[in-house]
Amino acid sequence: MGIGFTCKDVAERANALIDGELGFADRLKIRLHLAICKGCDHFIHQMRQTKALIRASAAMPAEEVPPAALDAILARVARPEEEPEPKPDG
Amino acid sequence: MSRATEDEGQLVAALVAGDRAAFARAYQRYNAPMVRLASAILRNRASAEEVAQDAWVSILKNIGTFQGRSTFAAWVFTILTNAARSRARRDGRQVLFEDSGEGNSLADAFDGTGHWKDVPALWEEVTPEREVEGRNLLSHVTAAIDRLPEAQRAVMILRGQQGMEAAEVCAALGISEGNMRVLLHRARLALRGELDRLLS
Repeated sequence: MGIGFTCKDVAERANALIDGELGFADRLKIRLHLAICKGCDHFIHQMRQTKALIRASAAMPAEEVPPAALDAILARVARPEEEPEPKPDG
Repeated sequence: MSRATEDEGQLVAALVAGDRAAFARAYQRYNAPMVRLASAILRNRASAEEVAQDAWVSILKNIGTFQGRSTFAAWVFTILTNAARSRARRDGRQVLFEDSGEGNSLADAFDGTGHWKDVPALWEEVTPEREVEGRNLLSHVTAAIDRLPEAQRAVMILRGQQGMEAAEVCAALGISEGNMRVLLHRARLALRGELDRLLS
């Protein structure tokens, strides 16, 4: 690979870049590339927007909880004979 | 050091105290993604709903042991994943979260010199509430996640939506960090492709 990145090189590193997982040398090469390449600048911006929308989608209001669903779980919790599932070390 | 947030701390304290309203809040927040994740593991919606219920029973029975070393969400989803994987084993199914090679939406995006064939354009008006094709962008994102191949979907729910740490996701799914990064990369590219279709 030459000293500079191609658009493909930048796209392949987009996730690592927006997750803060790239080393200094690769970050510098991307910064130099973005200074002269509108397409890659737009692409990185789109990837950041995609990441933010994915995270935001976790907080979407869920449907109403049917009380019967809660009752069924609470009844099982109250039943002493049921063995608990293996749990992680929280 | 505790990683649970203050909100989570209050939620956990209320759950330990047996507060039904707190349970309803937790259920409303987490049950749908729990069922979606279990569906990715079991490939069967009815089994996924049963496993989510089993996981809730385990969560409530063991809530007193939660010490905040992970976030509450990570704890919940690790219990769910363990329950789903046990169920898959009981059903005689092997659960493998290897990269299937599916979904590289950038495979044909570049010419022979590594330059864009079609230069990406800026998206305008990107807000969660924006309506496109009859529903808002967040609904499109969730629907697009549900169309991902199972392994990508599982990583995207845990890492992308729930914000679990990379190491927590790898432990829950039994995959290497390298594999997780590949799956996350492909999944994000697929979602970016879907948003590009909607917004360009």
